[in-house]
Amino acid sequence: MRTVHPSIIIGSYVWDQDRVPRDEFQIRIGGLHRVMDTNGWKAILVYGDAAEHSALAWFTAFTTRLRWGMALIPREGEPRLLISMSSRDVPAMKLMTWIADVVSGWNWESAFDPWLARIAGEGPIDIGSVGFELMRPPLFESLRKSLGDRFRLHAADDVVAAVRTVRPRERSQISAASRLVQTAAAAFIEPWRLGVGIETAALAAERTARMAGAQDVRTLTSFDGGRTLAPFRGAFAPQARVEDRMAGYIAVKYMGYWADVFVTGLRRAKFAAGGDRAPADYVREYARAQESFPVVQELARRAQAGLRTLLSMAKPGVAAGALHAGATKALGPHAPHPVLSGNVGRRIGLSLNEGGEITADSRHTLAPGEVYSVHVGACDPQAGGALTSAMIAVTATGSEIIHLSPAPTVL
Amino acid sequence: MGAPKVRLEETVRYLETEALDGLVAVNYGHNSFLESHAVFVLAGVRPIGESAVVVDRSGASTLIVTPAWDADRVAALSQTGRTVGTDDLPVALASVLTAHGLDGRKTVTVGLATLAHGLALRIENALGGNSHASERLIRQLARIRAPEEIAAAEKATEIAERGYAHMLACVRPGMREYELAAELYCVMKGLGAEDNFLLLSASQHNLAVRAAGSRVLDEGDVILSEITPCYQGQFAQLCRTTVIGKPTSVMQDRYALLQAAMRAGQHAAVPGAAVSHVTDAMDACFRAAGYGDYCRPPYMRVRGHGLGITSDLPGDLTAESDAQLEKGMVFVMHPNQYIPETGYMMCGEPVIITDAGAKALSARVANLDSIAI
Repeated sequence: MRTVHPSIIIGSYVWDQDRVPRDEFQIRIGGLHRVMDTNGWKAILVYGDAAEHSALAWFTAFTTRLRWGMALIPREGEPRLLISMSSRDVPAMKLMTWIADVVSGWNWESAFDPWLARIAGEGPIDIGSVGFELMRPPLFESLRKSLGDRFRLHAADDVVAAVRTVRPRERSQISAASRLVQTAAAAFIEPWRLGVGIETAALAAERTARMAGAQDVRTLTSFDGGRTLAPFRGAFAPQARVEDRMAGYIAVKYMGYWADVFVTGLRRAKFAAGGDRAPADYVREYARAQESFPVVQELARRAQAGLRTLLSMAKPGVAAGALHAGATKALGPHAPHPVLSGNVGRRIGLSLNEGGEITADSRHTLAPGEVYSVHVGACDPQAGGALTSAMIAVTATGSEIIHLSPAPTVL
Repeated sequence: MGAPKVRLEETVRYLETEALDGLVAVNYGHNSFLESHAVFVLAGVRPIGESAVVVDRSGASTLIVTPAWDADRVAALSQTGRTVGTDDLPVALASVLTAHGLDGRKTVTVGLATLAHGLALRIENALGGNSHASERLIRQLARIRAPEEIAAAEKATEIAERGYAHMLACVRPGMREYELAAELYCVMKGLGAEDNFLLLSASQHNLAVRAAGSRVLDEGDVILSEITPCYQGQFAQLCRTTVIGKPTSVMQDRYALLQAAMRAGQHAAVPGAAVSHVTDAMDACFRAAGYGDYCRPPYMRVRGHGLGITSDLPGDLTAESDAQLEKGMVFVMHPNQYIPETGYMMCGEPVIITDAGAKALSARVANLDSIAI
């Protein structure tokens, strides 16, 4: 899901050597060395920014809170990590990575050029690059100037992505993130069940996750009965008096890994005349709510059926397009939920979107070791919408459910 | 008329003056507290993803937002004439440019330098590769806060102060930094802060402030906090220093230096004053106390800076800045300083430039606060 990116990632990040020890990174860097050897490259530069830093974090343990970071990883010699922070911030940043040589990138020429000189040689030198599409144009120009015609840059995104198979330690971290998002989801639903407004419930969920050490939390909530989702509004309106439905999304980053889930709640209409509105308005609203309730219940049932279909099909070799067709067929006459932007899943991990989107046009197949967040939703423009989701790991012979959305709370 | 409408009109006048046909302002979906969000300035709404505003000389304007499903929410808030939702910004931009009768030759762009390189290239292609950039235009247009923006900055300041008061009430030895940050962040979000550039860290001898970690707080720790909630697009920042236990007399004495520097800076910051002059007024307090050698990185960074997301002007408060202050500018002034005997300490307020100098938006200016044990 697209969510609002914050001005800074405020969570606690350190390189947890008990969880991801140095030898794990030696294995990962070994994969990069093989890529360099195969392609005749003398180094690979891995770039990431605050919004997307999956590859950078995978190879260095470093998470870019702000601006950008770039690992300069040579085939021979020591790597360097450039960070877009002041030199004063370097000691704190060093705690976030196994790379000893961390340098502020604010003075580009003194940070990059001397390192580049170490790998210079006769004739043009070939270097791989990862994530350079994300780089801001002024930095890209500085880099190009430094490289001049002595070095040739080769986009290495795809070959490096192929090296990044999910490691056993990552599965442990993803499971920990999954447990936390489930706890947060419960903290989302319970206050709503007790009668508070949806933004208050979302904030309770966020607080639960952050107090437990979440490094980032994203929420989206519906203010229109689940027809769409919206970012933080800050009104903290109480629940509607006649009816209130809950549709929300929460994603939690923990130990560097994302886990996400949709939550749904349905409340039967309650007659609540009084207050500052004419009784006739309440009667009409009550009638509308009574009428739409079974429709939304049906949408929720269809969404769950779609998810069950998808989960039953998910195994290695299955085409993503077939998964999409199976899930959307189960929705029957109802339209897929617009907030899903035409997909029913994508890989998740160090990024909320690791690629592999499951759309009608997808060409890829599922592969063992991949971790997906899958989601199915249905919408009725008049009555509302319903969304449900799961996280799954593709195994050698099938798939394993990491977690499911809580069953819709019906009150 | 709201600030975005006024700025859309000013944009049209700019296009007329410069004999340009149109403007394309873009944003990459981030909320940088140190940068101008050109789309927010012109549309008055912050889309979730990458976005663009197109304005032509006739005054017609279109906002393009990603993801497509966010279009209805944004359309209800946008000050532009039209809103378009898309999942592919360059493709939608090409259509909108055609609808406005614009090509790249007489079009000015704002914000392309802040986009991801790949996306910027696609947008340049949509513009025919021959537009010209003016990265300063929108920052300049929004450099003076409109009345509703000042009200929002005041509200953001109030949220920051209430957040800090909550911190003073709940901090205790044994808490981890991230737990305290979570308390602070969630309380301010509950008060309406849509974002927060929150740094919070502790040490017995700080070198700088950083994001919260896992450190367990204990007696004698000096907690530094840079509390920066954003309310309706206006960031406001408080810089605070809090001691767990009783501060030493040396610490109290040296903190008074930071407070004196803050007052000197506020006094010097009148309309027309050079930022370098204001910076020097603050540095002079430290020089007079024998800390002149510490008025440079890594012992401090800047003496304040602009606050997004409308305009980051007047920029960083440094001795090298040639910017001039204007009445109505809002920014943070913070003579934060490393002092060898005490470590790094923080003292700063959001201020607005008035004829009498820089007036703090905060009700209670920074003191060396302590937590009784």
